[in-house]
Amino acid sequence: MVKISVLQHAPEAHLPIRPGDPTPTSRNLDPLMHPFARARERTRALNAAKMDRMFAKPFVDSLEGHMDAVEVLARQPGSLTTVASGSWDGGLILHNLSTRRQLFKVPQAHKGKVSGLCFAEGERLLSCGVDRNVKLWSISGSSETPLNVFPGKSAFNSIDHHRSDPLFATASNLVQIWDETKSAPISNLTFPTSTETITSVRFNLSESSVLASIGSDRTFTLYDIRTGKAERRVVMQMRSNALAWSPTFPTTILLASEDHNLYTFDIRHLTTPSQIYKAHVAAVMSCDWSPTGLEFVSGGWDRTVRIWKEGQGHTPEVYHTKRMQRVSSSIFSGDARFVLTGSDDGNVRIWKAKASDKLGVITARERAAMEYRESLKERWKMDTQVGKVARTRHLPKSVYQASKLKRTMLDAQRVKEERRRKHTRAGETKPKPARKKVVLVEQT
Amino acid sequence: MDILVARADALQPLGKKRKIHHSPRTPKGSSTDRTLHSVSKHTSVPKSFSRLPDAPTTYKHIANKKLRADLNRHTAQATRAKALLEDAEMLLGDEAGKIEVEGELEKTWRVGQDEIAEGAGQEAAKGRREWKLDGGPYRLRYTRNGRHLAIAGRTGHVATFDWMTGTLHSELQLQETCRDITFLHDHSHYAIAQKKYIFIYDRDGVELHCLKSHIVPTRLEFLPYHWLLASIGNAGYLKYQDTSTGQLLVEHRTKLGACTTMAQNAHNAVIHLGHQNGCVTLWTPNLPHPAVQLLAHLGPVVGLSVDPSQGGRYMSTAGKDGTVKVWDCRNWKGAVREWSVRSGGDVELEWSAKGSLAVASGGSVNVYATPSIHTPMHTKAPPPLYLTHPIPHRPLTSVRFAPFQDVLTIGHAAGLSSILVPGAGEPNFDSAEADPFENKKARREKEVKALLDKIQPDMISLDPEFVGSLAPPPKLTTVTTIDGKPPVEIPFARLPRLERLKASGKLDETEAAEAENEKDLDDNGKLKSREEREKRKQRGKGKSLKRYLRKQRKNVIDPTAVAIRKKLEKQREEKTRARLAAKNGEEPKKFSALDRFKRAP
Repeated sequence: MVKISVLQHAPEAHLPIRPGDPTPTSRNLDPLMHPFARARERTRALNAAKMDRMFAKPFVDSLEGHMDAVEVLARQPGSLTTVASGSWDGGLILHNLSTRRQLFKVPQAHKGKVSGLCFAEGERLLSCGVDRNVKLWSISGSSETPLNVFPGKSAFNSIDHHRSDPLFATASNLVQIWDETKSAPISNLTFPTSTETITSVRFNLSESSVLASIGSDRTFTLYDIRTGKAERRVVMQMRSNALAWSPTFPTTILLASEDHNLYTFDIRHLTTPSQIYKAHVAAVMSCDWSPTGLEFVSGGWDRTVRIWKEGQGHTPEVYHTKRMQRVSSSIFSGDARFVLTGSDDGNVRIWKAKASDKLGVITARERAAMEYRESLKERWKMDTQVGKVARTRHLPKSVYQASKLKRTMLDAQRVKEERRRKHTRAGETKPKPARKKVVLVEQT
Repeated sequence: MDILVARADALQPLGKKRKIHHSPRTPKGSSTDRTLHSVSKHTSVPKSFSRLPDAPTTYKHIANKKLRADLNRHTAQATRAKALLEDAEMLLGDEAGKIEVEGELEKTWRVGQDEIAEGAGQEAAKGRREWKLDGGPYRLRYTRNGRHLAIAGRTGHVATFDWMTGTLHSELQLQETCRDITFLHDHSHYAIAQKKYIFIYDRDGVELHCLKSHIVPTRLEFLPYHWLLASIGNAGYLKYQDTSTGQLLVEHRTKLGACTTMAQNAHNAVIHLGHQNGCVTLWTPNLPHPAVQLLAHLGPVVGLSVDPSQGGRYMSTAGKDGTVKVWDCRNWKGAVREWSVRSGGDVELEWSAKGSLAVASGGSVNVYATPSIHTPMHTKAPPPLYLTHPIPHRPLTSVRFAPFQDVLTIGHAAGLSSILVPGAGEPNFDSAEADPFENKKARREKEVKALLDKIQPDMISLDPEFVGSLAPPPKLTTVTTIDGKPPVEIPFARLPRLERLKASGKLDETEAAEAENEKDLDDNGKLKSREEREKRKQRGKGKSLKRYLRKQRKNVIDPTAVAIRKKLEKQREEKTRARLAAKNGEEPKKFSALDRFKRAP
């Protein structure tokens, strides 16, 4: 007896039971059923990379109102929308990012430029200027007179508020700690041998009594306000222009240096930076961490804004526009989705932190598709074409030429060094890693 | 400051190595978590977590830590995915058909179609049909999901229909010769090789395009993932037309005359052509010559098919000489097996998705089943027959298996007959690839998705897995050791010229070898100093000959170069002889007859 069975598909298993039901799908994961799976996935990855570039429209808006270059920006802790900006003409504006309106404006907050801004507890704002004054403003009202004025002895360069206590620190030729209720500084902090200007000062966010400053004498100094002393100092090859503490990793600090690089340091180990970030082609003027601690933004003298991933020292995202001049200040927004930059042309610009991000409501399917595209790009980034599309950025001609020139010079230097080493006695000179060259000396 | 560091004690300075505290009391192996230990008795970890990849490739040789971690992660993930794939097979719903016989004496080929149709289910029995049509011998083609059928009679009767429900999409009387028909990406378009040109029609039979660059086409193939329509004609030109952009991609001159046999390998999109002189050639769009050419038969090749069940590994050919051969596409050294069919003439071949081979010749269709058809055999015995079905309407011009069905349809002089072949079809389809039950919306969506995923034609190659595989190491760097130091990699651009030539394979070593032979010896038989050699070097002598030699590659034996080399050798020998003579003063004269009168010195 012969047993015969012939393949048949039960239609009820493959057709919707009632009209309007979704059609049942079936899967067969046998690779023979999916010919060219890899080639098709690569095509998809290439399309994903291209779509990413197609939708890359990072510029959101610009906030106007300043008469001169924007020197400083500050974000209100705990608020997603409130941002203060100070300019070289002494003006001070409080912006609302979502409505793009000015909440509060003082055209002549200081004589000369506003050099530092920070928010204090309870809707108050502290500003310092080169007119040797620190002023405390109430931002809830609209009066143009400050709540309090703290007169200093020399021009201030920077100000930062303590995370929890009513204290703030200013930087002039020395670091001073002030109490909000007292009109004179409660302590002066300085490294014993330091004589030059302090350009910026920042409190640590979690270990809130630790303070870091950078100075024009190429130093980076750590203080503790409890002991009232400068604890450590590092002299570097070039001076730094800005510094920022990591919001998630308390021992990490980011320095924006004059030598076109950014450095992250682990303050427990100050002899070498933990990472060098190289892409700017002129001095880096400002830097700020994303609240997630995974990214940071930097603005440079080369008129570009760059957004870096923590730990990846090359190929950052780069933003530029025709009319944007030297970027003197840059901050992340509180939700890590936007970046704000203030530049010499007097505008504060809002950018997306991720260039091809879609603003507005995103459905679950759309989100899933976006995540799939992200992972495809990640997976195929080593492919020549996909990688090229994902990596290539258009740069202004001046920046492009400058980077080319810089590369040529660095190459030449390296080759020269190599040749010199080749023709000296073996083992006499060792190549020095770039990370070892940054710090000249560490002092305690 | 120290307080901060002390507080952050768990994380020590990066520069220092972390001390690992070994507690001496607990012996090794028992240092597991107690809670875990107590819980583990009563719980079981999900299979996906518990099964570790058996032997993941380690990347210990890679110095870059980040890259190494990435690679390790990816490999582990891939291994796990592969392991999980086996579990997913349980989810496959439908079962393949089969014929089971009891005992040796019963043969499957004795089972006739009536008996199979009787034994099959009601739905499956619909596959056994006869269509009586009087349009001449018919060619036919299924869509990729096996739902729709297109037929073209020699005299111009063309129809497309959904053969399961019996819905006719279009029926045309073209009043001219139609040699082949194929669906494009789905049943909404089809192409017909007509008397002079290829025409493209839509589902309703409206003529959309006339492809005038394809002249007198005989066979058509559509490569669905590349959106290419390939045609071969009487002039012997293989032409690829991109149906998504409409441009004629490339035309290859086969130089082998008229061709009426064509098949595609569904797994690498290579086009196989069978020619009049018995050659089978394999073509890709990016090569102007065949990727493979083999002499398969001692007469015209009439039937050709590639096995989809083994990833395109086997190909079968049939010749006018009445033999059928199965070839291994990875190793062209002779056929895997060959046999002759009883009635010669035009033999049509087709592999099914599960590896059954249908051979239509003379007045019958024979089906051979899978393991025996692939096993190598030295004798010319035919493989054991699985099924046979006589069809009295000669000639049989086309055989096609319906995808995802156990149905084989034969086009012949009196129409079409479809028979049931249990076990021929793939039982489980994937809705993302081809779905027999898809609705209109799904079809439309699939069309868009397929266009987005279209693979570029220059990525067709014999090995489809080359995409995403590691590139061969570039020649542009060389690894050299400088005076005993560890080897360093120097980029091509910074090598000295000689090294660059050597790296790019352009350096001719003959000169160097000759220069070695021709060590300059001074009068005292010593090596001259470098300066002296430089000074004495005669510029321009024999330059043209040497230049000629330099331009020649050493591994090419060229009679002119050999002659020149010989000549130079001769010159060199003469030179050395002269030098020796000069060294020894007078050349020793031959003894002459008058020497006997010489006074002794």
